[in-house]
Order: sequence, then C-alpha cells, then structure tokens
Amino acid sequence: MADYYKYVIVGASAAGMAAAHTIRQYDSEGSIGIFTDEMDPPYFRPLIPFLVSGKKEASDMYMEGSGPYVEKNISINIGMQVTGLNTITKQIALADHEPVSWDKLLIATGSSPFMPENIEGLNTQGVFALRTLSDARQMVKFVDQSNHAVMLGGGILNLKTAFALLEKGLKVTLVVYSPEVLSQLMDPDDALLIRKALDDAGLEIITGVNATAIESKNGNVDGIMLDNGVELPCKMVCVGKGVKPNIDFLSGSKVTVNNGIVSNIYTASNCPDVYTAGDVAVTFDPATGTPMKTALWTNAVEMGRCAGKNMAGIKTAYTGSLGILNATQVADMPFVSMGTVHTNQKNFNVYRKVTDTSYRKLVFNADGNQLLGAVFVGNIQNAGLYRYVIREKMAINRIKRYIIDHRLHYGHLLKI
Amino acid sequence: MQHQKEIFVKIDRCVGCRSCEMACAVAHSESKTLFNAIFEKPMPKSRVYVEWVPPDKKVPMVCRNCDEAPCMFACISGAITRNEDGILITDIDKCIGCWTCVMVCPYGVIGRHLETHKTYRCDRCPDKNIPACVEACPTMAMVYDTVESYSESVRKHASKELTRSDKE
Repeated sequence: MADYYKYVIVGASAAGMAAAHTIRQYDSEGSIGIFTDEMDPPYFRPLIPFLVSGKKEASDMYMEGSGPYVEKNISINIGMQVTGLNTITKQIALADHEPVSWDKLLIATGSSPFMPENIEGLNTQGVFALRTLSDARQMVKFVDQSNHAVMLGGGILNLKTAFALLEKGLKVTLVVYSPEVLSQLMDPDDALLIRKALDDAGLEIITGVNATAIESKNGNVDGIMLDNGVELPCKMVCVGKGVKPNIDFLSGSKVTVNNGIVSNIYTASNCPDVYTAGDVAVTFDPATGTPMKTALWTNAVEMGRCAGKNMAGIKTAYTGSLGILNATQVADMPFVSMGTVHTNQKNFNVYRKVTDTSYRKLVFNADGNQLLGAVFVGNIQNAGLYRYVIREKMAINRIKRYIIDHRLHYGHLLKI
Repeated sequence: MQHQKEIFVKIDRCVGCRSCEMACAVAHSESKTLFNAIFEKPMPKSRVYVEWVPPDKKVPMVCRNCDEAPCMFACISGAITRNEDGILITDIDKCIGCWTCVMVCPYGVIGRHLETHKTYRCDRCPDKNIPACVEACPTMAMVYDTVESYSESVRKHASKELTRSDKE
C-alpha cells in the first residue's frame, strides 16, 4: 500500500469498483488505490443471501476478473477504515495507518442497514441486518441453532434472505409494516400474485404490523413483541428496513452533506477533485429534478462509471436514473418494477391486465402520451424496451397499443 | 478485436420466413440436427427473433454486442463478460436468473430459459465460420461482415443505383 495514489477511492463495492475500472480504461498509468473497511476483497453484494443458503461460496462472488471488472493494476486495500478527510491537503486519514494523499478522490462508501430506534433490544445476539459477507457468515453460524426466524421488512433483500432461510429448513415469518410486501416497488394490488407465490412457498407473512421489542434469554434472542400485542417466539431476527448513507467520517470535513453527499450533475461534490457515487450520493430524479438516493446496484455502477470518466478528465454528465429499477425472481415468480409505479395518489393514465399467472401495469402521464413506469409480474419479456421508452421519454402515440398489450419489440422503435 | 465481424440485417430483403430462428435453435441444440432437436428437453431456443413491424416489414433481431453494453454493467453477479473477440458471453454458472439484464437490454434480445432459470443470447456461433442464422437466410437478408467492408458494399450499391437512375 502506497501513501499516495493519483486516484483514491473510498469504498470497494459497485460504485467504487466501476469507477476504478473505468478510470483504468482512460488512464493506463495513474495509480488507483481503493480502500474498504471490509475484510473481503470486493464482491457482488446482492449475492450474499446465497452464502446463507449455501448455494455459493464467498469466492464465487468476488468482482475482480468477473463481468466488466477485468482491468489490471488497481490496488485494493481491505480492512482499512477511513476515519477522516482533508480536502485542503488532499489526504484521507486511516484508522491504523498514516494518511494517504490523492489528486482525485471518490467517496463511494455506500450505505448501512437502517436500525429503527423504536424497537428495543436490537443489539441482542441473534439480531441481524444482512449487508456484508461478514454479516452473512455470522448468520450462517446462527442458522443451525435456530428453528424460527422473524424478518422485519418486506423488501427484496428480506425476501431473498427469507428464501435462503427457508431452504435451510427454518420457519420464517415476515413482519411487514406496510399493507403488502414490496411496498417500495409497487402498490399493494400489484403485489397480489407475488404474495400468493410467497404464501404458497411456505413463507408466513404478517402485514400492517411493526415490532416493538426483541425479547432475550441469556443474552440471546428468544422472541419478538409486535405492536398488535402478539409475541412471536423465535431465535433469530433479521432487520431489513432500508439503508442509511455512510457519511459519519465526513463530519469535520468541508464536503456538503444532506442525508448523503450532495452531487452535482458531473458526480462532483462541492469540494474540488472530490467526487461521489453510489448509495452515499444524493443525485436528482431526472423526471422531477428533486434530490434522490436510490441504493440500487445497477444505478451505483452507472454512476460509478460516470464518476470514473470525470475523474479521468472526461467530463460526463450523470443523467440520473430511475429511482425504481428492480428485476428479480422470488418463489419462481419473476417481476420487474421500474419508473413511476405508485399510482394511488396522483392522476395517471393506468392500464392493468391480470391473468392467473401474470400481472402487468403500465403507467402513463395524465395526458396518456408518455410512459412513466411499468410493473410486470410473471411475464417480464422485453422489459428492457419499456425501460428504454420510459427513460428516453419517448413519444409513444404510434406504439402505445403495443405497450399496453405487452407486444412492444425493437422493430416498433425503428424508423423503417 | 479490430475488424470484428458483425451481423447486419437488410430489412428490405427479409420475408419473415424464420429460417434463421430455426437454424439458430438447431445450432444451439445438443444434437445439432433439426430432427433430433425437436425432441430435446428442454427444447432448444433460438437467439434470433424475427419481429413483424406493421404494415409489412420484418426485422430479425439479435444481440448487438453493444460497446457500452448495459447488460454487462447491470449484471449483479458478474456473469456477463466480453471475450477477446468482442462478443458478450454469459457465464451460465454465474447467472442467477435475476433477469436484471433482461430489464436493461433496449433491444429485447436476451432470452429467459424458464426450465434452467438462466438467460441466453446470441453467441455468434463460436464453432462456425458464419453464424447459423446468416448461413440459413434464403434471401441473404442477414450479412456477416466487418463494419468497414459492409459499409463499403452499401456505398457501392448506392452509387450503382444512382448511376442507373441517372441513365434512365
């Protein structure tokens, strides 16, 4: 590890790695140093539920040499906690090491699980928030001693983790405060097919309920108290209540922070030569211009690549991304959710089609001439085309009926 | 990676016979013969899609191997890489069937293999000199050529047409 790198990147996940490999494409010489406080080399974070289920080893998840992460000569320093930042002397402070100097800095420290303060006893042994490989390993150790896990939150991560635990033979109860699972990604009515698939797969789901306290016995989780007065005995609790940006080390620095690092359109912070990308960055919604954070792997990669170009001297605007852009498959039910999908509050032009095995919702603006969002459940064919139409704010009059009928293909977009 | 051949499509020549789809599926079957491929389980899949554009155009669509390939950067498991020939390849062992690539591909050419829960796409037929779809096209609507050579042929064709119309 050197005490100077031309490019220093704090954070070794999606945004940091994407930036490093992009910089290397444009600057074959400049030294690049990545710092992470995790003890593992960079890995594909969305895969960690597979460590819990035992379907993958940690080494199967490493980023270096996989996918687009094939550039060489990038120094990755693991187990290095960055404790501070001096934007005048251009140095980062490290917990157990002399400061490291830089010419260009990227802050891509990501986010950590949000732990709600109104639940008592969250520091009890047996309470988990799955975020890192290290968390996953801890969870694996606990799985064998446990027969019932209660999961707080109905988001994608918790659902994936829930299935990992089901596969390990545990009874799993999902406690969701919202009226339905996946409430961040769709309206309750949109989730009915997924809910049925989850129920059929043996997941117990309780909605409209919050936890108030973790019960413990000899320092270990022994149950959980819900706000409807019910107490569930369990040996394990997983918290999946969203994330908060990792910005603590910036206190005392000159970097402008507003629930995340405020980024301009060129992925730069307010300080010269200091850039930001990924979960920690506050960008803007391209549709409304309002500040936005997304906490999505794909968006983090995209912004990281943009930051990499800017750091290497190629000025590139980050055009923003859709705040909701998720695809996955749970309980053999694939789904995609993208763009504007919550339609209960405002006036939209909405088309729905329901069958026994599929559901789709297309959200147009009130005038019906622009596609704003889509939810596909069961059949997600050609979802990328709809994303393209949403993102490019395409004039859709000619193709609207194909969009509504889910028959859109690239030929329709050609001028032939 | 220089002068890599690409699959070009002459839309005005495509009659929509789907010979390319058939040839692709057979080329990606176990047996590599049409007769046996039909009985294979899971059924071999075509990686080329002939789409109909009203009123009368047909367009064979195939992975374009985009320069800034959205699928490769969006993949959450590192399954998609570019090989030394510039072809995007999905590592089936790494693919977890999350369909993120399907969500970001603007051409709609990444298929979902429902039986195996993996994605599939055009691999440009690595074992053949000419991709099966191109080889099978009876109207030569599909052309396998380098960008340089193909655009030259298009230029020549256009100038021939121009000279002809001058004479008329």
